[in-house]
Amino acid sequence: MKNFISNIGYFFKEARRICRTNKLSNVFTFLGTTLVLLLLALAVAGWSVSSRLVFMLEREAEVSAFFHNSISQSEAQALAGQIATFDGVLDASVIDEAEAFNRMEDILADEAGVLELFDENPFEAYIEIRIKPQKVSQIVEKLNNLPQIESVRDNKDILDQLSSLTNALSAIGYLVVIAVGITTIIIISHMIRQGIYNNREQINTLRLLGAPGSFIGLPFVLVGMLITISAGMLALGIALLLILYSYGRIGSTLSFIPLPVKSELMLIVTTVLVSVSVLLGILGSVFGLSSITKKSSPSS
Amino acid sequence: MIELKEVSLEYQNGTLALKDINLHIGQGELVYIAGPSGSGKTSLLKLLMGMENPTAGTVTVLGKSLTNAKPRKISRIRRKIGPVFQDLKLIPGRSALENVLMGVRFLNFSWAKKNENALIAIERVGLAHKAYSMVENLSLGELQRVALARAIAREPKIIIADEPTANLDHDNAVNIFNILSSLKNQNITVIVATHATHLFDPKENFTLIRMDQGSISIEKRFCSNGERDIDTQMHQRSIRVERRGDV
Ligand SMILES: Nc1ncnc2c1ncn2[C@@H]1O[C@H](COP(=O)(O)OP(=O)(O)O)[C@@H](O)[C@H]1O
Ligand SMILES: [Mg+2]
Repeated sequence: MKNFISNIGYFFKEARRICRTNKLSNVFTFLGTTLVLLLLALAVAGWSVSSRLVFMLEREAEVSAFFHNSISQSEAQALAGQIATFDGVLDASVIDEAEAFNRMEDILADEAGVLELFDENPFEAYIEIRIKPQKVSQIVEKLNNLPQIESVRDNKDILDQLSSLTNALSAIGYLVVIAVGITTIIIISHMIRQGIYNNREQINTLRLLGAPGSFIGLPFVLVGMLITISAGMLALGIALLLILYSYGRIGSTLSFIPLPVKSELMLIVTTVLVSVSVLLGILGSVFGLSSITKKSSPSS
Repeated sequence: MIELKEVSLEYQNGTLALKDINLHIGQGELVYIAGPSGSGKTSLLKLLMGMENPTAGTVTVLGKSLTNAKPRKISRIRRKIGPVFQDLKLIPGRSALENVLMGVRFLNFSWAKKNENALIAIERVGLAHKAYSMVENLSLGELQRVALARAIAREPKIIIADEPTANLDHDNAVNIFNILSSLKNQNITVIVATHATHLFDPKENFTLIRMDQGSISIEKRFCSNGERDIDTQMHQRSIRVERRGDV
């Protein structure tokens, strides 16, 4: 440890030297990594915008359960209470005839006059059940099994589409993260390998002098980390500028899209990018280094 | 402290470089290895540094067996050796001093001691004025002295030097030999492969290993009253002449 600290200066100097000896290739590595990480940043931003959208839509996911006329008001309340305990049900409440009528008035707004054509309230009381959209099939089946329930109206098709959209989005999200991870690790470990190859004579000499693998490898790990982290910072800078710019435009022209809070989105993107680039920098370097350790047979 | 038992070394291409060698070297001993080119001097030194594995027999250095040792163990032993390679193995693009420092950076010395040792060693080989010159700008003789300085700065238990005066003029070669034999007085084992048998320090006791086609013969030489000669009585009593294997 004492040795490590007294060598920190040397490790950084070595890292700089290694970067310089293969400048062009390292510049390309840096730019490539920046682009890949920018892709990640955009994916994270897109994912958080769309998951916000899905969240808003999911909150609207509901089914209506119509019960027999013979059931009293309080029985209906009890039934709603029972339904509320079903798995996947967020809440369930009784909407009586009057409220159903009022709601339709609200929906029709200016055209509400049409309702006056009816002599009496044409709406029935029902139980409004807000649910998790993934659970719609099970819930509808359970409701149909309840003897008090006469019919169930669901918007299953829409809900199904919504949940497959959610699944597709998270699948794409994972795919992007994995692709970015693998690509970065390949780019960085290849760069490290190249550095090791370019410095093979020095490495061989150090090994013959008895230098431990950690001493030999640390400058290379440092190079990998510095390049990945600085690429991450550049990608982050670009991504944040893009977010600011897009919020400026979308916010005014497409104001109906429920965007996440800007500062929250920027925080998410920053957190992901910083941690991912540190992690990938370390992983890439370590993978690249494995070519040193593999070759440490006595005859070298 | 160095022990070779029935050691043979055959290279991949079938060259039998060392044949059934038995050898014991004690701590603080000064050992010269002489012999024509291709007789196996470098191969013997490589075995001692774990750069080659013997095809038969066992090699023990500083009490540790090198036979089939793990890389970590070999590294630990190498850290206690100050090597001067036949091809020097200096690191290009760096100054003489930086090269010496490269040999000590990972040793368990304080930061100050590393720098101090490097500077003292550079001075000891007479290169203080070239300490900051890039190795590319040094003569072959100067490079050899940088390599020796790197070995000395490590405060090793053993110095292993492979033809360290091959490119030096007489004065510089004598100088190097004086430095090497003086290390013996610091209880460092010094093993030198060389052609320059005429430069052996007459004031020192030493062991001479003669090599020929992979076999060795060992002579112990002692000096008395500053005059060196082979004491025939001593010679007969203490010399084990080994000449095994086909020649
Ligand atoms: N890496 C190697 N592969 C095959 N043969 C080798 C190798 N190194 C040395 N030799 C052979 O081994 C013999 C001894 O070589 P070496 O130990 O270098 O002798 P010296 O140092 O006394 O000149 C020579 O015949 C040489 O050609
Ligand atoms: Mg040789």
